[in-house]
Amino acid sequence: MIAKIVCYALNGLEGVPVEVETDVNKGVPSYDMVGLPDAAVKESKERVRSALKNSGMLFPMNRITINFAPADIRKEGAAFDLAVAISLLKASEQLVGADVKDTVFLGELSLNGDVRPVAGLLPILISAKGHGFTRFIIPAGNAREARFLGGAEIFPAATLNEVVGHILGTAPIAPLETAQFVPRAGSRAATDLAYVKGQPMARRAVEIAVAGGHNLLMVGPPGTGKTMLARCLPTIMSDLTFEEALEITEIHSVAGVLGEEGIVTERPFRTPHHTATTVSMCGGGNKIIHPGEISLAHGGVLFLDELPEYKRSTLEALRQPLEDGKITVSRAGGTISFPARFMLCASMNPCPCGNYGSSERTCTCTPAEIRRYRKKISGPLLDRIDLQVEVDDIGYDDLTSGEARENSETVKARVEEARRIQACRFEEAGIRTNAEMGERELAEYCALDREGDEILRASFERMHLSARARSRIIKVARTIADLDHSEAICPKHVFEAVSYRTYDSIG
Amino acid sequence: MRITEEERGYLWLIGCTHTDYRARVALLRAAPPAELIARAEEIFPPAVALPPRSVREREADAFLASLEKKGYFAVTLLSEDYPEALKQISTPPLALFGAGRRELLRARKFCIVGSRITPPWAEKLAAKVSGEISARFAVVTGLAEGGDLAAIEGALPGKNLISVLPCGLDSCYPAAHASLKEKIRGAGLLLSELLPGEEAKKYSFHARNRLLAGLAEGVLVVSAARRSGALITANCALDFGRDVFAFPHNVGSVHGEGCNDLIKKGAYLATEAEDILSYYGFEAQKETHMPLLSAGEEKLLALLRATGEAHLAALAEQAGMQVFEASALLSALELKGLAVKAGGNRYAAV
Repeated sequence: MIAKIVCYALNGLEGVPVEVETDVNKGVPSYDMVGLPDAAVKESKERVRSALKNSGMLFPMNRITINFAPADIRKEGAAFDLAVAISLLKASEQLVGADVKDTVFLGELSLNGDVRPVAGLLPILISAKGHGFTRFIIPAGNAREARFLGGAEIFPAATLNEVVGHILGTAPIAPLETAQFVPRAGSRAATDLAYVKGQPMARRAVEIAVAGGHNLLMVGPPGTGKTMLARCLPTIMSDLTFEEALEITEIHSVAGVLGEEGIVTERPFRTPHHTATTVSMCGGGNKIIHPGEISLAHGGVLFLDELPEYKRSTLEALRQPLEDGKITVSRAGGTISFPARFMLCASMNPCPCGNYGSSERTCTCTPAEIRRYRKKISGPLLDRIDLQVEVDDIGYDDLTSGEARENSETVKARVEEARRIQACRFEEAGIRTNAEMGERELAEYCALDREGDEILRASFERMHLSARARSRIIKVARTIADLDHSEAICPKHVFEAVSYRTYDSIG
Repeated sequence: MRITEEERGYLWLIGCTHTDYRARVALLRAAPPAELIARAEEIFPPAVALPPRSVREREADAFLASLEKKGYFAVTLLSEDYPEALKQISTPPLALFGAGRRELLRARKFCIVGSRITPPWAEKLAAKVSGEISARFAVVTGLAEGGDLAAIEGALPGKNLISVLPCGLDSCYPAAHASLKEKIRGAGLLLSELLPGEEAKKYSFHARNRLLAGLAEGVLVVSAARRSGALITANCALDFGRDVFAFPHNVGSVHGEGCNDLIKKGAYLATEAEDILSYYGFEAQKETHMPLLSAGEEKLLALLRATGEAHLAALAEQAGMQVFEASALLSALELKGLAVKAGGNRYAAV
């Protein structure tokens, strides 16, 4: 008898339906798997055999052929175990009367018959729902992740026996209740702008950066709170919407880094170490293509501490995703696009000795040394970073005591207001933030008056700015005007925007 | 390039023989330079191996042709336009190689030097002073970053600039200033006492600094730490009897200690171009044009002038405005050339 069970394979972030067909024939006992299974799938034979035996079921001593259809895509991982086991039981007539049609079985088996969780469950469920499947049997360990998918019957099973009991109807499993998405459910509020000492300039830059979706570079001596400031970025970004959260969770699920909550409720904050390779940053892999750090930071912040220490090639690879908001990884196994719309926040020392601009210690670097240090970051990358701000080693508290520091909540309210203004403005343009403006939008929404134009011309001459920096300055000025609730970009907005690009002129 | 027989002898001696400075001076004393090539066997010490006369003549012609081909000129001690001031120093170079505006050799010259690490305010001020001085003097300086660069930037628009290299004319030190070097060649004058092709050595900076002081009537030291190349120039200037001027620096600022020491020892204190120009009897052109300032800018500028160098947050606090407002106003002042960013969110008035 032939049994057909539906399972899913992952291709990037997309689930591909795979039918597990099992034929049990009379003949010399054998076990063959066809249809491009990889090593982990082939090993399922041993897991399935033990799991069946230890769950009190029979492993048929016949000629068994298992086919994974369609045969032309590569199947990887252990998520097929459950489907193989059920298919085998069905084919050997141990599940008489069970209704397994239109049910998707997902899960890895352990030798004692437990169903173990699998990576990438949510993207599979979303794809399968899109393909018209509404009934799923999933590992109980993935239940937290799956409960946010509404409009489907999802049955979490802990053991193979539970699965069998459920499909035979003898012991039905209660379907998973759909959970309501609550942003910041797991927030521990460990960071808040209120805890950042001093740094009025940097605080302002952080606010502008988030308000307009700009990338940010913080330059300052070690130990002045650059990392602390960066960690505050997610706290002033707007809350995740459910759609955004699902999109981010899909990526995290595929990469197997999903946390306790089962869904990402906070904007990601990724801090890859500077030894990171290009592949770990952008995504890749031998057969399975994994998302890289920039995709894991999708919707959130990618923080690169000590920017000049990163490999040049790694940094250059960021340029295209910074423009496009996605990364396309091509390997022999296929070409996959991952979303990668992240905010880049980088930090670096001002010079090799770290004391340039310090009030207390003297910088011992020559201009040539400083230039060489800063040259490590290429112009094109620097051009994609709209805001450059110096983080200095003076505590603002030394100068003013009693000044109340704003907390993230207050700043976030202003940021959201600025975002709302942008959303209204760009309703038809198909973009969301000032940073995404193209030449057409710049011309339409960012007209400068004569005075503003003069300022820009003067800054180009005095500060030796690159021509590309011009549109960046205007975009930042637009955001500053939005924060100021100003329809027009006034000279003061341009001046402030110019003050965040001084770094180009030093280099 | 018109070359007399004497000069040809000089240049053959410098460009085509392996002799040092002292030997050259002795040889030039021993016989008229015009006969140097022809009678070398009689004039040179017998131990020196010399090629035959025909080869010597060809060597001299080839050397001069190579200079001409690269567009360089050579000035020897005998040339009419060899700088008079340079003849007075103890070891004047026997020849100078130049590229650019040769007529600047006859101009009155004033030297502006500074350490490679120069505070931003001193750079701005030096550029301003250099610009005003270049109306009266050819500004003599090196090609390094910091103080030299500021002097170059100030004087380049006036095309009254001499840059003396620590290497041959076709090399460039620091290499990053190669394009700047070409600009100076176009607008001003590049000078070197080294043969084209020679690279900068450790000692060539010392020798070059002696030329800076030797060429000029006076030297302005923009910035100098206790051990700085700029001080070598100042010491040479004292040896040669030139006037020494220096910018005053804050007490305790490492990159200005050398300047303050100079002033202690009697150098003239200079804070503007007028201090120098009036010393030489020129009337400085008072800059009456003051850019239009807003009320906030006026306020911040006054605060900056009162405190010297100040942190942005402190300025905003004193002016009673938000930090980002102050930062916008300060970058306005910066664009108008009245303030300068000193790193670490600190600003200084110029």
